[in-house]
Amino acid sequence: MDYWVRFNAQSQAKERVIRAAQYACTLLGYTLQKGGAAAELHKTISQLEAHMSLTRKLLRLGNSVEALESAKRAIHLSDSVLRLCLTISNLNKAMYFACDNVLWAGKTGIISKLDQKKWSERSFRYYLFALILNLTRDLYELRLLMDSEERHRASKHPPFPHPGSVSLPADQLSSPSSSPVALTAPPVMLAGLRRQLRLLVTVLYSNPPLLLDLLKNSCDIFIPLDRLGIYTTGSGFVGLCGLTSSILSILTLIHPWLKLKP
Amino acid sequence: MDAVVKFTSQSQGRDRIFRATQYACALSIYLLRNKIERKELLAKLKSLEAAMSAGRKLFRLGNTINSIEAAKRTMQLSDRVLCLCLTAANMTRALYFVCDNALWARNVGLIRDINKERWSLNASRCYFASLVMNLSRDLYVILQLMSQKARDQHFRQKMDVHLNENPEVAGVVIPQLDAFLFLLLEILKSHPAVALDTLKNVCDLFIPLDKLGIYQSNAGVVGFCGLISSLIGIVTLAQPKFKIKP
Repeated sequence: MDYWVRFNAQSQAKERVIRAAQYACTLLGYTLQKGGAAAELHKTISQLEAHMSLTRKLLRLGNSVEALESAKRAIHLSDSVLRLCLTISNLNKAMYFACDNVLWAGKTGIISKLDQKKWSERSFRYYLFALILNLTRDLYELRLLMDSEERHRASKHPPFPHPGSVSLPADQLSSPSSSPVALTAPPVMLAGLRRQLRLLVTVLYSNPPLLLDLLKNSCDIFIPLDRLGIYTTGSGFVGLCGLTSSILSILTLIHPWLKLKP
Repeated sequence: MDAVVKFTSQSQGRDRIFRATQYACALSIYLLRNKIERKELLAKLKSLEAAMSAGRKLFRLGNTINSIEAAKRTMQLSDRVLCLCLTAANMTRALYFVCDNALWARNVGLIRDINKERWSLNASRCYFASLVMNLSRDLYVILQLMSQKARDQHFRQKMDVHLNENPEVAGVVIPQLDAFLFLLLEILKSHPAVALDTLKNVCDLFIPLDKLGIYQSNAGVVGFCGLISSLIGIVTLAQPKFKIKP
């Protein structure tokens, strides 16, 4: 219970829990609709979802400043790709939060006559850019780790002759009519692909922060893609993706070692 | 900027800022209530206040557990009066949060068949009880400090100097009152945490007093008191040395 108190004391933690609840409502609303439940229950669920969305907007009122501070910190990174990705991603997030704040003011009636659809689309565009940059950073880190793992493996086990190349003379001897090039290409490619895949799995398995961040960003990207109409998947899938990414980010808050640094 | 970010990253920090805004809106609405030309501004202030209030109810959903944990901690205090006051305050606060959560569920439509008025009154009663307990603790701490200080030789000399150099009428007629007030002011000046906590609880007390009808003030007084107590809350959170311990 002391655990809960410490967790709850962080403003971000509360926001994540409310986000998880919001997307759970989205998913629930979709399943209720599919299952043909009562219209009243469906209305309650969608009202609850709207209430949570508005409250999250209230809770995020100061986050532009935090994103700008993160962008300032990211400028001092040594790796140039990371520096670029993280700085621009944080700047986009700051813009997203600013649009979000304007939307909150419009929804609560502080700013009258606000074009909510336009501002909503704007905020989702910034969110999409930020997610694309985060994914780029994840893939870059993955590539770096795979390269270093490959070098590490090569230094430990010197490369042995490929099974395809060993069997080649035998094949040539057994069926001289078949072209030797066509025989070797698919097995080599497939074996190469298998090796890359094994390398990928090894790297991801030994780097849970990177795996978590990659999964989280991949789930998150479906939300703006659906809302902007670029790749519509439906509210059920969006709800599921949102819920998964919220749970993953709650995990990173509970176990800070799972957070990808920088 | 860094300090602002650190302050707002605490869930309590944000909640206190929203509370201050909510009561500032309430005060402004009361002050502008008769100005017909400010109708639009009045409507905006009302919707801002409603948004803050609704949002804060959702944030408070987990606070029952916080209060129960705090009650468990205060049960282990050595001083029996402090232990009693603080544990009772925390338990009644936990009950207040339970009522508040029920009201939230009613507002959102999750629970339909509860009497909103009755639960609202119960919430105010629990809040009132917890404030009374907090004030008792403040009073106990002040009395303890006063008796401690009164025994101090250095302070006694200071008091004698003060009493002899003030030939005012009130001081001559009721020297005990003058001495008492002097002692009280000395304590409050040297222990700002206690002074701030007492002031905060006194200001907060007007809110349930008005709601329960025990001492009907008006919306302006309630707004003003709420704003003062929220600002004191922000100060104690930003500067931990102003927070009363335990």
